[in-house]
Amino acid sequence: MQVGGELLAAARSVGARSLFVIGTGKNVGKTVTLRAVYEAACAQGVAVGLASVGRDGEAFDIGDAEPKPRLWLRPGTVLATATSVVPRSPASAVLEVSSRATAVGGLVYLRVVVPGYFELVGPPTARGVRDVAQRLLAYADFAVVDGALDRLAAVAAGDDAIVVACGASGRATMDEEVAAVGALVARLRLPAYQPSADCVEIEGALTPSHAAALIAAGERRQIVVADPTKVALAGRSAAGALARLDLRCRRTLKPIAVTIASIGRTRSFEPRAFIDAVARVSGLPVYDVYAGMRAA
Amino acid sequence: MNVGAVLDPLGAHALEVAWLVAALAPASEYGDRTFAALRPFRPGQEALAHARADRVRALADDVDAARLDALRETIRSAPDVVTALARSSMGEVLDDVAFLGLQRFVDAIAQIDVLLAQGSVVAPLGCAALHEIATLLEPGRLGRSAFYLADAFADDLARARRAAADAEAAFEAARGRAVATIARALGRDDLPPDEFILMRDALPRQLPLGVRVVREAPTYLLCSIAYDDATQSALERRERAAAAVDAAEERVRSVLSRAVGERSAALAHVGELLGELDVLVAAARFAVAHRCTVAALDDAPVLEFTGGRFLPLEARLTRERRSYAPIDLALDDVAVLTGPNMGGKSVALRTCGFIATCAAFGLPVPAARARVGLFDEIAWLGIGAEGDLGGLLSSFAKEVVRLRDTLARPTGRLLVLIDEFARTTTPHEGKALLVALLGALRERGAVGMVATHLGGVARAAGARHFAVRGLRGALQRVPGAHLAGALDALAAAMDYTIAPVGDDAGASGDAIELAAILGLDERLIVAARAALRGAADAFE
Repeated sequence: MQVGGELLAAARSVGARSLFVIGTGKNVGKTVTLRAVYEAACAQGVAVGLASVGRDGEAFDIGDAEPKPRLWLRPGTVLATATSVVPRSPASAVLEVSSRATAVGGLVYLRVVVPGYFELVGPPTARGVRDVAQRLLAYADFAVVDGALDRLAAVAAGDDAIVVACGASGRATMDEEVAAVGALVARLRLPAYQPSADCVEIEGALTPSHAAALIAAGERRQIVVADPTKVALAGRSAAGALARLDLRCRRTLKPIAVTIASIGRTRSFEPRAFIDAVARVSGLPVYDVYAGMRAA
Repeated sequence: MNVGAVLDPLGAHALEVAWLVAALAPASEYGDRTFAALRPFRPGQEALAHARADRVRALADDVDAARLDALRETIRSAPDVVTALARSSMGEVLDDVAFLGLQRFVDAIAQIDVLLAQGSVVAPLGCAALHEIATLLEPGRLGRSAFYLADAFADDLARARRAAADAEAAFEAARGRAVATIARALGRDDLPPDEFILMRDALPRQLPLGVRVVREAPTYLLCSIAYDDATQSALERRERAAAAVDAAEERVRSVLSRAVGERSAALAHVGELLGELDVLVAAARFAVAHRCTVAALDDAPVLEFTGGRFLPLEARLTRERRSYAPIDLALDDVAVLTGPNMGGKSVALRTCGFIATCAAFGLPVPAARARVGLFDEIAWLGIGAEGDLGGLLSSFAKEVVRLRDTLARPTGRLLVLIDEFARTTTPHEGKALLVALLGALRERGAVGMVATHLGGVARAAGARHFAVRGLRGALQRVPGAHLAGALDALAAAMDYTIAPVGDDAGASGDAIELAAILGLDERLIVAARAALRGAADAFE
């Protein structure tokens, strides 16, 4: 089984030209997932564009100085990154310098000419990442974005496929991580609202206090938000609200799969137990990129 | 645009100079730098100010609006290469992002010169150094606007890259074979490049060669691939080839950077010319958009115009689809201006200040015709310039403090615009202060205008007196007291013309008529009219 190939096929099957990898936390295998999709796309001759929210792809994690997976990129790949981290060698084609900024300098679009290691650095805002993903598609057939849970709004305005990455580094116990990924996927899979039935429209985001008030009032009507990113709930509050309220959205998203990284920096989860548990709570195909396993 | 050199912040606020600054904003970083350094022309620099305004107007006349817009967009597209030029001049080796910036700068200048070639006002910006850099960077051009340190820059670069490509292919083949063999032995389609998991219940009897166990757990093994000797050797060859490419690329960058550094002064000068052009184009677009004309710059302190307009207000009225009434004025000393409420006295003062400010910065002015002197200071006093001098001072006290400070400044040539000074004190004392102030201003040779509702000031001060003509007849009350309707009726009935008058004793404010049309209770209006008649009868 080729995990990257299956994820790419799943993304295409929902009509997406871009794929966001969203993690439940740090070091949960987002970059490994991105790389698997990237390798599969390259193998199929697809011109790929790569971007990141913030900073990724560097040799060492900026936060904890631990080694991180590096991005060895092939000719033809287009990437968005910061001018300050463009490798001097191998030289790449500098396509354009954007007016957008990253935390470590201006944003630049490159096309890889000679294979080499590259670092992805993107804009810090959801809006910026959205624009970059869109811009990449001017140069590439398919874009893969190393996203971030706290910049989830980036997928609100797009038509992207979403892969959720979770792992042993996400939470202290497997149960907690499974609950977190279950709540996140449930949010992302919020169903479309039914125009024929009564509803309560939520302006802006559905906050924990608002959700609690609706539950306390015994609200039975559809609770409608613009899109799933407007549900500002996580963990238990998300699970509680999703169980007790009929949450709906005007614009649905396209979560297509979950990937797991059962090995973390400081702890590991039993791979098979983890993949089965995630499959049960998510209802999506779940892949272990490291073990080459799939659970549906 | 150094407005503070001629207007203090409160004066600038009253004249809405921020609007003017926004209207003149350049499009590029080059223009921003030039614009920030602009200073007003001083008395004695009339020829320079006139020449600049003339150049702006000539560009506006020479280049049609569409081409002005195209020029602005092309200027906007020019990347800021100032830092790259400075770095290269100090011997630094530039990176490829900087070379792209330089290439796009060169392209932008070439495009600008094509756009300018059809006119005669601005000389081409291009120079020999620019053309040399264009030629030097040309091998790096990729498509319309990308840059790549291409093989064509140097033969040894091309050779190093070919060797690196061969080494890469050899390594990929060796690695691919090794990984494929291991994957096959493990029954996997592919393996991640770094670490991977093998479930113990799916392990073959013996781990294939080349699999290294990183960590053991009860149900799985975390593994990585250890390259065999052939793959390891291919990897080392690839690393050596990559290092050779790195060195060859740096040599090319070094040559290019040295060439840029040697021409950095000439290129920086082109950047300065671009900044000036940016500011000039912005001013020309301003002149076209607002139908501005070049004022005759007089070496005497005068302010004379026909069809003068206060542009910020005209822009607001245009947005609201209302008409604007330009005014004519001629000042060579400090005059008095009276007229009804909402008759445009404040706007007349602002028009004077706005036109004088435009002229001071060498801009065409918003008037059909103008003759303007240059001033060292344009001072605004009265309504709109109270400022924040602390809560303990009354409105009147704030005005007085501001007047005190203005008079204390050793300003050379002063244009003073005073809007209802001393309106908040007793009329007879306010009038006395105004009369004295007019005398003091006349003594120091100031030019300007004092707008007031107080009667008899001009006569008492021996000053010239202008008045807004005011209402043409009785105002029609608008049913329902809609403000928009009232303003329409008022605009239709008001004659905003300013004309010299001989007698200022009985100036009317038309205040009761205005209050009526603005919807004040009818009974109140009737009572006010009766009170006014009673006062008049008593006076007679």
